[in-house]
Amino acid sequence: MADVMGKRILVIDDASLIRLYYRQALESAGFHVDEALNGLEAIEKLLLEPVDLVIVDVNMPRMDGMTFLKTLRRQGSPIAAIPALVTSTEAAPQDLDAARAAGANFYLVKPLAQDVLVQYARLMCAVSA
Amino acid sequence: MPADEAGGVNEDEFRRLCEFIYRRTGMVFTEAKRYYVERRMADRMLATGSTSFASYFARLRSDVRGEVEQFINAFTVNETYFYREEHQLQCLSADLLPRRIARPRANKTIRIWSVPCSTGEEPYSIAIWLLENWPQVDAYEIEILGSDIDTRVLDAARTGVFGRRALMRLSADLVTRYFEQTDDENWRLIDDLRQSISFSPVNLVEAAETRAHGAFDVIFCRNVLIYFDDASRRTAAENLYENLLPGGFICLGHSESMSRISPLFDVCRYSDAIVYQRPMERADG
Amino acid sequence: MPLVRKSTTPVDAPPSGLEALRAALASSSPDERWQAARALIDMPGGIALLGAGLATEADIRVREVIFTGIARNATPAGAALLLPLLRSEDASLRSGALDALAAMPAAMLAGRLPELLHDADPDVRLLACELARGLPSEDATRLMVDLLERESEPNVCAATVDVLAEIGGPQALPVLQRNAERFASSPFLAFAIEIAVKRISTTLDAGR
Repeated sequence: MADVMGKRILVIDDASLIRLYYRQALESAGFHVDEALNGLEAIEKLLLEPVDLVIVDVNMPRMDGMTFLKTLRRQGSPIAAIPALVTSTEAAPQDLDAARAAGANFYLVKPLAQDVLVQYARLMCAVSA
Repeated sequence: MPADEAGGVNEDEFRRLCEFIYRRTGMVFTEAKRYYVERRMADRMLATGSTSFASYFARLRSDVRGEVEQFINAFTVNETYFYREEHQLQCLSADLLPRRIARPRANKTIRIWSVPCSTGEEPYSIAIWLLENWPQVDAYEIEILGSDIDTRVLDAARTGVFGRRALMRLSADLVTRYFEQTDDENWRLIDDLRQSISFSPVNLVEAAETRAHGAFDVIFCRNVLIYFDDASRRTAAENLYENLLPGGFICLGHSESMSRISPLFDVCRYSDAIVYQRPMERADG
Repeated sequence: MPLVRKSTTPVDAPPSGLEALRAALASSSPDERWQAARALIDMPGGIALLGAGLATEADIRVREVIFTGIARNATPAGAALLLPLLRSEDASLRSGALDALAAMPAAMLAGRLPELLHDADPDVRLLACELARGLPSEDATRLMVDLLERESEPNVCAATVDVLAEIGGPQALPVLQRNAERFASSPFLAFAIEIAVKRISTTLDAGR
């Protein structure tokens, strides 16, 4: 667990049970987890404290996931470069392209299995296996 | 996870409470505020005769006898005093006004709005703070307006008499310079200051009323949007946006976030505060 | 003393009259369109004009004021404009419409919800669950239980469970327990159902 010590993840999803599910998996793996319900809240939290990874859903109120990503990528350093894992109920190729264009690093269909989530988190936080 | 002693809540319960309050009011409670939140909740549980988190939470969610407002009241602490939330005043002189004056502007008057102003502590605090802490204060005309929906508090604000508690954060030196003691327990703001702030009624949800106040460089709108329902809150935020000059700033209460209320504003982080900004003039892009 | 009192110049009011506002709504300045959109909300015929503009409006701030206006206006005509947007390809139109519908008085939508919850499109059913959250607990429970009983899409089931976990009443327990078995091999759903059952049971116990 020592290798993930101090790695911080922000989970951004409107659904509280999804956030709880991801939190449990990630905390068990040793990550520090914070949550946001929408893209705007997420930007504010990131301005106060950057993280090593954001996991963001496409469908959220106030500011959807794609808009959030574009806003994030326009911010200054260091938050603009935070790796982003996008989740969605959609799986069509154009959604994947849209996500990539918005600045996503990975795009996965939800809900994620907990072990897949942890695997991606370790990868994207550049944690050695 | 088991609940703590009576009044304590477990992780899951605390998170659910925070989420409900955020969705309903836009208030954000961080882990740092946890003890404070638990204490306030314990007070409300006692007041409502709720013997468990589950029963209190059900009551809160259904807004039984206006419990949401009662809960919010417990946090906004109706008592107001001078130099409350000093970090925002610090941000005003250190970050917001310097940015304002860096932009070329025909009109040299800087306009600041305190709404709701209640009995006047906030607009008068802004005035005193700027006179005392902003090096450029003499180079500009500064117009400060205070507005509230409640006309009785406006009358009190114009009178400008305050008790000991309202002045508790001010140094003896500031009290001496800006107030005249009228009796054992009361101090009156000096005429110069009292007469330089305009007070007016306003309903934030009515655009015709807000428009009449003109456009501002900075608006302080603390601890009122949380009381509105979703639709009214969004409308009030839009009215406030309209009352900002391009590039102007709005400050909310320290537990409030625009993120639940409206996406119109850009969020800015300065060392002392998070504030929101109306973007500069835009073209389609 | 740098502090001054001055007479106030009010903020510019938008142009008046439907025609002037229609023209302003087509302006290349987003601020002008923003102003016009706000003014049109309260005018006869204004909502229809705005609805037409919504799908083509690219500026999020202009869209936002249109959604807010419709929400605040809270009429069946406004709701009728928003409902088709739940099917939009554009995520921000979908979520904007949903937000605006959720900001309307719950009673306004109560009549439309059963229909939405039976929609052929699973995404619409999923979004409609969010609208049920604003109803009184008994009504929301009834609708979610009904949906969960007949629903085949796991993500929609997840949405019903999320609502039940927040506001579900004891009548939901039997259907949740049945679905716990049905979804035993779906890690997230199994998790969500367990949480919902636990919370409803705790509330039940607390009430005794």
